[in-house]
Amino acid sequence: MTEKLSMHIDAYEKNWIRASIVLLIVFVIAISVAGFSFGIQVPTVEQRVDPNTIATDPNSPWSEPGLRELSPGEYEAYILAQTWQFLPNKMTVPVGSKVTFYITSKDVQHGFKLQDTNLNVQVVPGQVSKLAVTFDEPGDYFYICTEYCGAAHAVMFGTLHVEP
Amino acid sequence: MTNQNEEFKPKGTLLILAIFVVTLILLWGSVYMILLSRGVTL
Repeated sequence: MTEKLSMHIDAYEKNWIRASIVLLIVFVIAISVAGFSFGIQVPTVEQRVDPNTIATDPNSPWSEPGLRELSPGEYEAYILAQTWQFLPNKMTVPVGSKVTFYITSKDVQHGFKLQDTNLNVQVVPGQVSKLAVTFDEPGDYFYICTEYCGAAHAVMFGTLHVEP
Repeated sequence: MTNQNEEFKPKGTLLILAIFVVTLILLWGSVYMILLSRGVTL
């Protein structure tokens, strides 16, 4: 005597499984389009540094944090996070500039979010986070610490002014 | 009894589910458009 085994799946459950598969496909396409067609990347570890000497070593760009102009409209920003401030906490660039940010911390873990842009990174001691932003609109862009870092975390912010 | 269960259409539940799914699609889509509009980070 043989008994044929079969699994019964409710029609609604089948549709839900199909919808879940479609959702996964949509997410993969959306992430691929953002990453490969539009160039929106998550930050990777650019390099490793020694947080104990990063601010004092004369060969370290973070010993004098700030903006460097590479060419007209192209800048590098070396930003040092520490409790409870960003160095520098004020920068100015002309509209249309592309700024590549190199951010690290010399003490505890911080966050760096530049408002109204896609720049939002963790700032980890010993690691350098790198991302770039092109500023097409003039105005003040605030950058804030997004990782709780102690008593004065709430006042840890800076301003990037994009002048017309 | 079994036949009655198989014919049961949970229209209210499906309606709530549809509203939920459409709301999620609109919210997620709007955030995705904001992400794309803010440009590259390379």
